[in-house]
Amino acid sequence: MNGVVRRLTPQKLAAAAFRLREIGIAAALGISVLFFAIRAPDFLSVSNWQGIAQNVAIVAVVAVGETMVILTRNIDLSVGSIVGLSAYLSAATFVHHHAAPVPVVALIAIAIGLGLGFVNGVLVAVARVPAIIATLATLGIYRGIDDEITGGKNITAYQLPDSFLKLASEKPAGLPALAWIAIGVCLVGAVTLRWAPWARDFYAIGSNPDAARFAGILVRRRVITAFAISGALAGLGGFLFAARFPTVDAVAAKNFELDVITAAVIGGVNVFGGVGTVLGVALGAVLVATIQDGFILLRISEFWRLFFNGFAIVVAVTIDALVTRRLQDALRRRRAEVRAARHREAQA
Amino acid sequence: MTAKGLAGRLLGRWETLLVAGIVGVGIWSWTLSPFFLTRGNLLDLVTPYVFVGLMALGLTFVVIAGEIDISVASTLAVSVVCFAQIFAAGVNVWLAAVAGLAVATALGLANGLLVGILNLPSLAITLGTLAAYQGLAYVILGGEGVASFPTSYTNVGGGYIAGNQLPVALLILLGFALVLGLVLHVTRFGRYLFTIGANREAARFSGVPVGRVRVTVFALSGLMAGIAGVVYVGYFGSARADAATGSLLDVVTAVVLGGVDIFGGVGSMLGVLLALVLVAELRNGMQLANIGGPTQDIVIGVLLLAAIVAGNLLRAGRTSGFFPGPIRGLRRGVIGRQADEAVRPSNVESPESGR
Amino acid sequence: MSEPLQPPVVELQRVSKSYGGVHAVADVSFAIRSSTVHALVGENGAGKSTLVKILTGVIQPDDGQILIDDTPQRIGDPQIAHRLGIVAMYQEPTVFQDLSVAENVFAGRHPRNDLHAVDWSSMRSEARRVLLELGAEFGPDTPVRGLGVADRQLLEIAKALSSSARVLIMDEPTAALSPHEVENLFATVGRLRERGVAVIYISHRLEEVGAIADVVTVLRDGRHIATRPAAELPDGEIIRLMVGRSLDDLFPKEEAEIGDVVLKAEGLMRRGVFSNISFELRRGEIVGLAGFVGSGRTEIARSIFGIDPLDAGSLSIEGRPFKPRSPRAALARGLAYLPEDRLHQGLVQLMSVAQNVSMAVLPELTPGAILRPRRERALARRFMERLRIKTTSAAQTVRSLSGGNQQKVVLAKWLAAEPRILILDEPTHGVDVGTKADVHQTISHLATEGLTILLISSELPEILGMSDRVLVMREGRLVGEFARSEATQERVIEAAAGVGAAA
Repeated sequence: MNGVVRRLTPQKLAAAAFRLREIGIAAALGISVLFFAIRAPDFLSVSNWQGIAQNVAIVAVVAVGETMVILTRNIDLSVGSIVGLSAYLSAATFVHHHAAPVPVVALIAIAIGLGLGFVNGVLVAVARVPAIIATLATLGIYRGIDDEITGGKNITAYQLPDSFLKLASEKPAGLPALAWIAIGVCLVGAVTLRWAPWARDFYAIGSNPDAARFAGILVRRRVITAFAISGALAGLGGFLFAARFPTVDAVAAKNFELDVITAAVIGGVNVFGGVGTVLGVALGAVLVATIQDGFILLRISEFWRLFFNGFAIVVAVTIDALVTRRLQDALRRRRAEVRAARHREAQA
Repeated sequence: MTAKGLAGRLLGRWETLLVAGIVGVGIWSWTLSPFFLTRGNLLDLVTPYVFVGLMALGLTFVVIAGEIDISVASTLAVSVVCFAQIFAAGVNVWLAAVAGLAVATALGLANGLLVGILNLPSLAITLGTLAAYQGLAYVILGGEGVASFPTSYTNVGGGYIAGNQLPVALLILLGFALVLGLVLHVTRFGRYLFTIGANREAARFSGVPVGRVRVTVFALSGLMAGIAGVVYVGYFGSARADAATGSLLDVVTAVVLGGVDIFGGVGSMLGVLLALVLVAELRNGMQLANIGGPTQDIVIGVLLLAAIVAGNLLRAGRTSGFFPGPIRGLRRGVIGRQADEAVRPSNVESPESGR
Repeated sequence: MSEPLQPPVVELQRVSKSYGGVHAVADVSFAIRSSTVHALVGENGAGKSTLVKILTGVIQPDDGQILIDDTPQRIGDPQIAHRLGIVAMYQEPTVFQDLSVAENVFAGRHPRNDLHAVDWSSMRSEARRVLLELGAEFGPDTPVRGLGVADRQLLEIAKALSSSARVLIMDEPTAALSPHEVENLFATVGRLRERGVAVIYISHRLEEVGAIADVVTVLRDGRHIATRPAAELPDGEIIRLMVGRSLDDLFPKEEAEIGDVVLKAEGLMRRGVFSNISFELRRGEIVGLAGFVGSGRTEIARSIFGIDPLDAGSLSIEGRPFKPRSPRAALARGLAYLPEDRLHQGLVQLMSVAQNVSMAVLPELTPGAILRPRRERALARRFMERLRIKTTSAAQTVRSLSGGNQQKVVLAKWLAAEPRILILDEPTHGVDVGTKADVHQTISHLATEGLTILLISSELPEILGMSDRVLVMREGRLVGEFARSEATQERVIEAAAGVGAAA
């Protein structure tokens, strides 16, 4: 009697559900790779995967930041506009200062993004504008600023220094430089989310905002930080974007936020906050980029991509909600049974 | 009611502020160009934004019920491209338009089922359908546009009557505003919306058919997006998959600026209509001032933020006595509500059931 | 065992708090010492939860002062209470569902290493140490989502201990625990006492109070009745102190003709909440449902009304089977439920009296689905007169009404639906005496008109004064039934607490 009851403890059920998500993405990834490899001859080629890696890289960099915002039970719709704006400004800096050192311009891009993200954070945490509205507004505002600055013109690759464009063409050790940068960002992100006390607060805030406040967590400050980081990484993403797509115009990175959010949501970041890992997001980004690449190779219209993003978000949210509900019901029943069993034991 | 009492009641309303704003922007526009004040121009002010207004009317219902639907612009896009393709396949233009409406309603219904029956969060779901529907629109029509609509049709959306002065689109907008306003404020269904938005749990306890109403309201939002699409094609004479991208900002701004509380339970159709006029007038004025499209977007975005911040401030000021009398007296429409939790219980049900 | 008196950690001096003229606590003074398990007993509404809210900084007293270590303190908000070392633990502990146990314990206070990073190993070991000390069967890495109530309680206690709480308030901690878990909790409480913590133990289960408490404070109607060492207070004496008022006939009950069975419940069960509930209600009857908080009364009502699911059992209304699928379905069969939480479940604060009153009957009031505000107002005015609701007009917003009038509005809403069976859950909770009398008169009158009433109440005089029959619940089961003639306060409380003959 004891053994049977003890083996399937509620704790084990919950822990299993946690890992289910990452296993699920990995499985989906495996299936997709298999599927495309069979159907498209070039799918498994090195150059194809280098292309995928480059696409994943930019999405992943920005997704790490978006994840931090979603963890706190908010959302940042303006990342696409920040990427576009940052891309243009980065390129423009190079145009006017041809010999500018690449890292310096990168820092400028990050700083710009940080500032824009900070504004988002203040709007949400201090002015108490719901995140969806605030970032919808700044999506428009930042894109508007971008449009104004570009003034209908664009910047082409010829105007940009090789030192910058090399970022997109170099492949140290076979992996594109952009991918290395993304891996670095992901590592830093993962380490931060795991080891920085203020980052752990994100999880608490998303999981139970009231309890977080009671526990003495400075919720406002943390939320502003999350948005600032999201902006900063979007700034970096824009910088990388300009290197990869050097013809930068006003519509650069339009709808990019959807790619980012899809990667996060598929990657197990719960829209209610409190749940999510960088590993999951990275896997999500890889999955999204893989499927999109597969679509291209299979000559499936590029237009399905947006649909796929949206569909994936709806499916992921639905599954998450239903699974959580099932899980909670199952857990509740389990607890009652365990309790009843213990009661009987005590009486025996 | 004394004159002072009447003045007090009128002054204390958000709609009055909007009217003041409309007058103010009007004066500004007139200084930019005396042409502004001609009858033809005034009547035509809103016409390019009628489709935005129709979406805003539909969205108002959703927001009052305590939800959000950011997929309206994408729904319009699908409706428009379906319409175009069906028409291009040889079907009568009017029937094709009706088909487009049906598609839009179906898309809204899909949202409604996910949110109203499965109880999924409307923000996340409509974010997903925003992308999915927009993608669908591109898949159906590709990047090209269809521009070969018969004038019999375009005259509806883009035509004028009464001696070439009165835009048909304006009549359509006013007509729907009237009808929907009546539905919202005079019918049982409308009352259910306010109740659910204000306190979903109490509504359920009182026997209000919460699930059914929520599904319906999203279908309605979809339908209005479809009607907006019908007008869009009529006015612009063409159908593209990227129709109405970028209009979401204006739609949401019209709703929020119109005094609808983003958390639900409060709002008026008149307010949204006035806010739409204000937004249209503002854009028109900026055009006169040679302010470019992108900068206009910036202004509208800032306006949206200002509307919410103003609402928050007024709400806080009302409880702490920070603001002087007349502003503190603002009552109807979102803003003059107390922020205390006793008034607004969170519409999230027990932790065990919702997450 | 006589021990030297420990210094008082918390001392309440003449603490009072009222809501709209109704005093929740009045002139309460007593001291709580460290290393003591201090039980706080009293009926529902005696003022216990108000005192807890005051001590934890959720509300402020109108009068009196609170001394911590002999220094007057103003506990302005929960964070200040936390800093002063006062922590409260409720039946449903609030936890961070998505974090691990260790992180829950140290939320916002992560131990840091030299690099200012989170010191996971130290956090884990410290959490493990505390959990071991408390006898917990789970570890620091367990995800909290899988923990049951008992374990979550331990988690909260661990959190309190590790943040050096000095006063731990436990509100009905054993309500959801099995006997085995209760034993564990007692052991834990003992350890806390050894650690010097003052435990304020609120419970209805007098046998527990007897087993664990060192000191007992009895409250009644918001006043402090007695604070004595537990050894000097046998259960019977406690009950007498809790209840010891004379029953004046404040509630004149009219004689109603009792007819056929209108509602029959058989074997109702909801897993983990209540079981084996069978009873009958007759036309014209007022049946009281007594029991302490957590005994399952509200839960039964919610399941009958279709808000919560029923796992087993059957219901029939007027002879025909009834499946409570939703409030709408219940209303259609003539069953109405006035919820306990009138603010959040009964009223829409933003709306007017008229709109609230007509909420449940809109389909009837709106031919052609068009609202008829005039009819709504007329309906409201009828009830305003009948129930003596004091308000300037039917168009007044409900938010600005007093608690008593608000309650009448909710009652009006349900009466407007012309139910045949009316379940009232704490209808006079937090309501002034005048309104109470009005409500009682109405209830009594309704019964004479043929309505059947199930009255859930924690106020014994109300139950005894109004009911033809009294059903008593305890821990999800029906443990007693008394006819009007044989029901006394002592008997009901004994059955509800499980002492004496009924244990």
